[in-house]
Amino acid sequence: MLAGLNKDTLVKSTTHKVVLPFYLYAAISLLAATVMLCFSAEAFTRHYFHPHILAVTHIMALGWGTMMILGASHQLVPVLIEHSLYSNKLAYTSFLLAATGIPLLAYGFYVFDMGWPAKWGGRLILLSILSYVINLLISISKSNGKNVHAIFILTASIWLFLTAFLGLALVYNFTFPYLPKETLQYLPLHAHAGVVGWFLLLVMGVGSRLIPMFLISKYSNKYLLWVIYVLVNGGLLSFLGLFLYFPGSTYHLFPVLTVLIAFVLFGHYCLRSYNLRIRRQVDEQMKISLLSVLLMLLPFVFLVSITGWLLSDKLNTQLVLIYGFIIFFGWITLIIFGMTFKTLPFIIWNKVYHAKAGLGKTPNPKNLFNNRVFIIMTMSYLAGFILFITGIYLADVFVLTFAAVILIVAALLYNWNVFKVMLHKAKIK
Amino acid sequence: MNVISNNNIKCTIALAALENVVDPEIGLNVVDLGLIYVVNFDEANKKINAAMTLTTQFCPMGESIIAAVKRVLENTFAGEEVLLELIFDPPWTNERISEEGKQFLNR
Repeated sequence: MLAGLNKDTLVKSTTHKVVLPFYLYAAISLLAATVMLCFSAEAFTRHYFHPHILAVTHIMALGWGTMMILGASHQLVPVLIEHSLYSNKLAYTSFLLAATGIPLLAYGFYVFDMGWPAKWGGRLILLSILSYVINLLISISKSNGKNVHAIFILTASIWLFLTAFLGLALVYNFTFPYLPKETLQYLPLHAHAGVVGWFLLLVMGVGSRLIPMFLISKYSNKYLLWVIYVLVNGGLLSFLGLFLYFPGSTYHLFPVLTVLIAFVLFGHYCLRSYNLRIRRQVDEQMKISLLSVLLMLLPFVFLVSITGWLLSDKLNTQLVLIYGFIIFFGWITLIIFGMTFKTLPFIIWNKVYHAKAGLGKTPNPKNLFNNRVFIIMTMSYLAGFILFITGIYLADVFVLTFAAVILIVAALLYNWNVFKVMLHKAKIK
Repeated sequence: MNVISNNNIKCTIALAALENVVDPEIGLNVVDLGLIYVVNFDEANKKINAAMTLTTQFCPMGESIIAAVKRVLENTFAGEEVLLELIFDPPWTNERISEEGKQFLNR
């Protein structure tokens, strides 16, 4: 007990018991996705609407990306919204529902059975997201500081809900066609609501708070963040309007450019934070996170090309495959690599050393994982990533399989380091 | 060092001991980081009235850092009760980092 301490002034962080299951699930999902990639290499020489590709994409988007981000956001919510998380029970509920729903949905896609596995998978995932949104909404409503970061994360979670809702609607459309267009035609809407509305908005909201914090930067620009917020959401809403009322028009470049401008401004924000940092040394995890910001540019290049192809009615499916692969296996994965070893060691350090603080010299959180393994993992992952893109371009099964094996090695190294951190035992000198 | 105290000698001892409490993320001790605001000694009642801050009110490591500061003060001045207050007014800014701290971060 901290005698004389006004504890109301300290916002309580979320317990590790809530956060760690999400991290563990995500780590195993990455391994599962890379193994599936290896056994489904041949699918990547065909059309992107292939059952195995749908299964891998959803394991990457939900099991890996979303589970990791949900876990980290439960931990970071108090930092972002300036208030403790409303309910741990809702967080556990969210985990259990998603953890059950994701394999069901992935199995449904893999065998292309849009019956009960895909439907129940989708329903459980939707309920999981609903639990998360409710938890977030009540937490924010109870906080005093309705800041820009809180609005980013709340809006992102609403986009996630809409993405999952549309996804479930599309699953139903396979068995009871009721939508005016074919399911395949709704995929760009479903995918971009998820990628831009959920992932990009969340990365920008969380990154704009954490990057200056970790760099101990003097830079702050709330106005710029609001402009970015309006541009991303405006771009996405205009895409929705164009999709519904002006399909195939050249105006489709407008949302791409709007989001591109938002991205350039966010890059400027990160660069200013970096240049005005007090802490000169930047660790590998921060470098990877900053590299992933740069890597966001690559999908834009492909998106402009794809929009061009779409407008000329000659869609290149390889281009679409590479575009999706860069987003999920490139941009999102690199962000998570950096974020995992920036946040997980602190969560474990707090768990192991909280009661022992001040009793002697404790190891630094960054010493809880093996940095050399982290660098080897990153290098092997980048090699496998580039090789896999080459394989898609060449439509060569051997290259794709070989690249997938390298990605499995990287995923194993990632899991090894995650388990090393999670199983850390107290060492006090 | 920008720390308020009514006993310079004992305050020096306290700050020397607190240099062992390190912010795990930044790697810098709480004294050079400028987190310690007040260390007053109530000799008559055998109490230490201290006040500190954190780099942010929402620091996930906050509880561990506070617990460490309290424990170090209790161990250094055995028999004296430590009353530690966490304050955010005035808020911590980069300007509170000592010259040694700035040199450490500039390495």
